[in-house]
Amino acid sequence: MATPTTEDQPQPTNPIISMFETFRDELDEHHDRRERLIKTSRDITALSKKIIFSLQRYPSQSPNPPPTHKLTLKTALPANITKETTTRFTQIHTLFTSILPDLAAPPNTWRYQRQLSSGIQEFIEALSFHHYLTTQTLITLPEVQAHLPPQILVTEEDYLLGLFDLTGEMMRFAVTALSAGNADTSTGGEEGGEGAVGLGEEHRGIVVDLRDMRSGFEGLSVPRRHVMFKDMGKKVDVMQGSVEKVERAAYGILVRGRERPKGWRPDLVVAGGGGGEEGY
Amino acid sequence: MIDHHIFEDLQAKIDDEAAVRDELHDIVQTLARKGRSTQAILSRAHSTPTDQLKPVLDDATKEIIAQRDEVSRLKTVADKHPFYKYNGLWTRELQNLVSSIELCAWLGGLEEYKTDSSASFLTIEEVGKFLVPVNLKEQDAFHLTIEEYLLALISMVEELARLAVNSVTLGDYTRPVQIGNFIKDLFAGFQLLNLKNDILRKRSDGIKYSVKKVEDVVYDLSLRNLIPKGSAAA
Repeated sequence: MATPTTEDQPQPTNPIISMFETFRDELDEHHDRRERLIKTSRDITALSKKIIFSLQRYPSQSPNPPPTHKLTLKTALPANITKETTTRFTQIHTLFTSILPDLAAPPNTWRYQRQLSSGIQEFIEALSFHHYLTTQTLITLPEVQAHLPPQILVTEEDYLLGLFDLTGEMMRFAVTALSAGNADTSTGGEEGGEGAVGLGEEHRGIVVDLRDMRSGFEGLSVPRRHVMFKDMGKKVDVMQGSVEKVERAAYGILVRGRERPKGWRPDLVVAGGGGGEEGY
Repeated sequence: MIDHHIFEDLQAKIDDEAAVRDELHDIVQTLARKGRSTQAILSRAHSTPTDQLKPVLDDATKEIIAQRDEVSRLKTVADKHPFYKYNGLWTRELQNLVSSIELCAWLGGLEEYKTDSSASFLTIEEVGKFLVPVNLKEQDAFHLTIEEYLLALISMVEELARLAVNSVTLGDYTRPVQIGNFIKDLFAGFQLLNLKNDILRKRSDGIKYSVKKVEDVVYDLSLRNLIPKGSAAA
């Protein structure tokens, strides 16, 4: 039976109080660490977005790019863009390195996984986009890990959700590229005759790749109890919308490309259908 | 060019993880079932006078020991994986179990696990000796976290507030005073914590209502001079 505690001693000697003081210190340490990691994760997200923006500027804004450079995949990016992205990637790497002490204790990599997850996903989006533009392949999970300190945990979920977002970036890139690329085709058409009208090799490539990714994503079955289950539905919708936008854009270029005035862009607001907020 | 192996690998990983979750989920289900029967037994305390509590506590202890076996089965499986990856699966049931242990101990059971036999509850270290390791910070293994322990104490406080009322119905006018003293001490402890806007904050905000509930009972009793002389801090 409980014995009532009727101590009149000063507070600190009360066993309950001293136990709670220990708890307070432990919880404070945990909350501080948690907040540091959330902040770093946000910084990583912001830098990753900047990388993505500069990569997206590549088709539309590189000033007088040499013809070979224009919107081709699998080649080196223009120097000004490379310079910017390299700086950002280095900054991100520094941020990841800065949080390693907080993750040093073995349980911590998973304990704080949720706090870092959004930053890591955004980083994967930027990295995989960069990787796609330079190699026209999807970056693999081990390749992503190789870009990070080994103590940083990259889960399959983060990787997969990052790839979903990649489709949105590819869509934006493809749409810009298709309209800009079409300008080439039409000038080429004036010189070389009608046979030249059509999609360039790279443009066809990106449409085919998006379609392949879509079928890959759609082939995944995620059980109800899986952590990813709730995120998947919305991501799949957005991804499908992106793929369709590019398909419609490619169609528009082929059918109406010849007639279109200079500077014309595929009308995505009408053609896009679902996933409207991603419109470019 | 999209390499389809990427998606095949992902599917394999998703399937692996689903299998782990299913395995853990099954054990947690068993633990939950036994937990409900422990709680059913302990709730008999609300209608049992203090001097007849012994059989209730013995029954409860038996169930708690059975749950402990289930927890060690869970631990064996869980220890093959990172602790914080899956701990959300069992945290609720583990809290319920610790709450039952604490209530049982407060009522006078589980004496052999108390360092100080006059103590009214088990400290986190004592729970650790009885059940599973606690608060492992340097080792990625199964354990009871501080948050889980604190949440379990809060559930126990809520149950004790109810017991204070029911003790009076049973004609026991001493126990509400003991309960009042104990939960006021815990309340003071919780006030030392710097809580964030999380579940712990939300739940611990409820303690003050439990304290008030018990204070009202004690007030009613003392107003009518019903508290036996010489009883705890009357």
